[in-house]
Amino acid sequence: MIMTAIEEQLQKIKAQNRLGLMTHIVVGYPNLEESRRLVLAMAEAGADFIELQIPFSDPVADGPTLMRANQESLKQGTTVAQAMQLMGELAAATPIPLLFMTYFNIVFRYGVERFCQDAQQAGCAGLIVPDIPIEEEHREHFILRAKQSRLSVIRVISPASTERRLRLNAQHAEGFVYFVSRKGVTGAQANLDAELAQNLQKIRQYISLPIAVGFGISQPEHIVAIKGTADIAVIGSAIAQTYSGAEKGQGIAAVCRFIESLAAVL
Amino acid sequence: MESIIIKTSFDADATGHFGQFGGRYAPEMLLPALEELEAAYNQAKSDPKFLDELSDLFKNYDGRPTPLYFAENLTKKLGGAKIYLKNEGLNHTGAHKINHCLGQALLAKRMGKKRLIAETGAGQHGLATATVAAKFGFECVVYMGEVDIARQRINVFFMEQLGAKVIPVSHGTKRLKDAVTAALQDWITNVDDSYYLLGSALGPHPYPSMIRDFQSIIGLEVKEQIQAQAGRLPDYLVACVGGGSNAIGLFNDFFEDKEVMMIAVEAGGRGVDKPGEHAARFQTGGAVGVVEGYKSYFLQNEDGQIQSTHSISAGLDYAGIGPEHALLHDQKRVQYTFATDKEVLVAFQTLARTEGIFPALESAHAVAEVIKLAPTLAPDKIIVVNISGRGDKDVFIVAKALGDKAWLEYLRREAGE
Ligand SMILES: Cc1ncc(COP(=O)(O)O)c(C=O)c1O
Repeated sequence: MIMTAIEEQLQKIKAQNRLGLMTHIVVGYPNLEESRRLVLAMAEAGADFIELQIPFSDPVADGPTLMRANQESLKQGTTVAQAMQLMGELAAATPIPLLFMTYFNIVFRYGVERFCQDAQQAGCAGLIVPDIPIEEEHREHFILRAKQSRLSVIRVISPASTERRLRLNAQHAEGFVYFVSRKGVTGAQANLDAELAQNLQKIRQYISLPIAVGFGISQPEHIVAIKGTADIAVIGSAIAQTYSGAEKGQGIAAVCRFIESLAAVL
Repeated sequence: MESIIIKTSFDADATGHFGQFGGRYAPEMLLPALEELEAAYNQAKSDPKFLDELSDLFKNYDGRPTPLYFAENLTKKLGGAKIYLKNEGLNHTGAHKINHCLGQALLAKRMGKKRLIAETGAGQHGLATATVAAKFGFECVVYMGEVDIARQRINVFFMEQLGAKVIPVSHGTKRLKDAVTAALQDWITNVDDSYYLLGSALGPHPYPSMIRDFQSIIGLEVKEQIQAQAGRLPDYLVACVGGGSNAIGLFNDFFEDKEVMMIAVEAGGRGVDKPGEHAARFQTGGAVGVVEGYKSYFLQNEDGQIQSTHSISAGLDYAGIGPEHALLHDQKRVQYTFATDKEVLVAFQTLARTEGIFPALESAHAVAEVIKLAPTLAPDKIIVVNISGRGDKDVFIVAKALGDKAWLEYLRREAGE
C-alpha cells in the first residue's frame, strides 16, 4: 500500500524518536500575504504539520483568540476560493503535509465532493472538521468523499468521549487522532489539564494510531510533559498570540523563535 | 388535557432528522452530553410522574391555561374572519418561553445538574431561565449579544435581580446567534455539571423535538378552547417565527388536521430584498446549511458565512430556523411569510387600541399578518393568532420608534443629566 503524506511524515518522526509538532494559522489573518509567509516560516522553523483554518463566522470550538482571528480574516474578505489557492501555492512550496481545518458548513456549502477534490488537487493532505460526527456520515458522505480524494480525515476525540464513541471514532480514523487535552474550547493556558496523562492512557486502549494533543498547549514545558504519552503536540492559539503580541513587523520572527523553542524539546 | 407528547407525521426519526434537516452536527466534546440528554429526556417523557409535575407547574406556577380570547373589536375593525388571540403574554414572565424552561428545569434537576446555561435574544428566554433557576435553586449564566443587551435593558435588569449572571457577547454580529455560540462554548467547558437550557426549537438533537414537546401545550389548549368557544377547529393558525418554538407549539397538535392552514411570520426588517436587512430565512439569502449543531435554512453568503440580520424585535433577529420548520416549509404544510418593522409597529398599536393588549414586538409580526389576512376571508372563517408574549419589555424600542418626546425627556431626567 502506498503511504499518504501524513503517514510518511509520521514515520519520519517516529524514526527520529521524537514528538511531532503541528502548528496552525487562520487563513487570511492578519492577511493572506502574511498567512503565506507565516506558513513557510513555520515549516522552516521545525513544524511537521500545519493546519490552515478556513475562517468561519461561527467557530463554535474556538476560544477567544481564534474566534477573533476568524472574524478579522472574514473582515478582510477572505474567501474559501482564496484558501484553496493559498493551499495550492503553499503545498507546492513546502514538503511538510498541510491540512485544512474548518467547520462543516464551509464544506457543505462548497459541496462535500467538490471540496474534497479541490483540496486534494491543491495538495492538501488531510481535513480536520470538528462538527461532522460519524453519525451523520450516512447522509453527508464526508469521510467517503475525502477517502475518494485520498485525504485523511482526522477524527477529534475529547476527555468527555465515552468508550462507545472512542471505538466508533477509532474505526474511522486515519493518519492520526486529534485528542482535545481538556474540556473546553481552543485557547492557550498556563497549565495543562491535571488529568491529561491519565486520559491519554485511557484512550490509548482504543486508539492504535498516533495521537496528537491540542487545546491549551503553549509552552516547551507542556511538550516535555506529554512526551512519551502523545505523538504530536498541536499549537494553535499560542501561535496567533505570539504573532499578534509581537512588535509591528516582528510577528513572523517571534513565531519562528517560539517554534524553535518548542522544536528544541520535541 | 391530553399528554403534551404528540406524534405527528413531521416528527424527527430516531436520530433526530426531520427529513434532510436537523440531526446532531456537534463537535465530539458535546456528543456524549447530547446522548446523555437524549436518554434522560426519553425516560422523563414516558414517566407519568415527570409529566404530572410539569402539568402542576404549568397550572400553579405559570398560570396556565392561558386564555383564548375572541378579539371582537379587531375582528370588526378588519371586517373579515373571526380573530382569536391565544394570549401567551399572560404566562408568568410574560411569554411562552417559560413553558420550555419549566420542562427543561425539571429535566436538569432529574439529571442532577447544578448550573443552567442559556442564550437569549429578546431576553424573554433568559428571563424565564433565570426565573426557573431561582425557583429550583440552580446557578444560572445567560449569554446575550451586546446589541440585544442595549435594546432589552429591562430584561437584563430582571435577570440579574433573579440572581443570574448575564454575560455580554461581543463576537460576530453581537446578536442571538453569537449568544448561542457562546452558550455552546460554555457547555463544552462545563459539560459535567451544567445543563444547556436552549431557548427555541433548534440546535442539535434532541433539542428541537424536546422544546416542541414542552411548547405543544399551547396548541393542545387552543384545540380544547376553540372547540368550547366556536364548536369547531380554526381555519388558520398564525404565529411569528424566530427559532420556531412558539409557532411549533401552536401548530403541533393540528398537523394531522388537514383542513387547518398554518402561517408562520418571519422578521421582514427593513425589507427582504437585501441580505443584512431582515431575518427571513425563506427569503433572499436563505439557504440550507449546517450551523450550531443542526441542518436547516440559514441566512448565509455563497461561502457559507452566516450573515448579519436585522429586526426591530430582538427575538426574531436570528439567522437560522428550527429544523422542523425547514421540513414544514419544504413540504408546504406551513406557509412562511414575513412582516416588516413598519407593519409591526402598526400592528402593535392596532392591537393596543382595539383590544387593550400590547403584544411583544415578536408577536406583533403575527398580528401584522392577521391584519393583512383577515379582511380577505369570509366572516365565518376563524383565525387563531399566537400572542407569544406581552409588549411591556419593548417600551424603549417602541417609544423610540414612535419618536415619543416626553419619553425621551423622561429618560434624560432619570439618567440625571
Ligand atoms: C415573545 C416572543 N415571541 C417569539 C420569540 C421568538 O422565538 P420562537 O420563534 O422560538 O418562538 C421570542 C424570542 O425571544 C419572544 O420573546
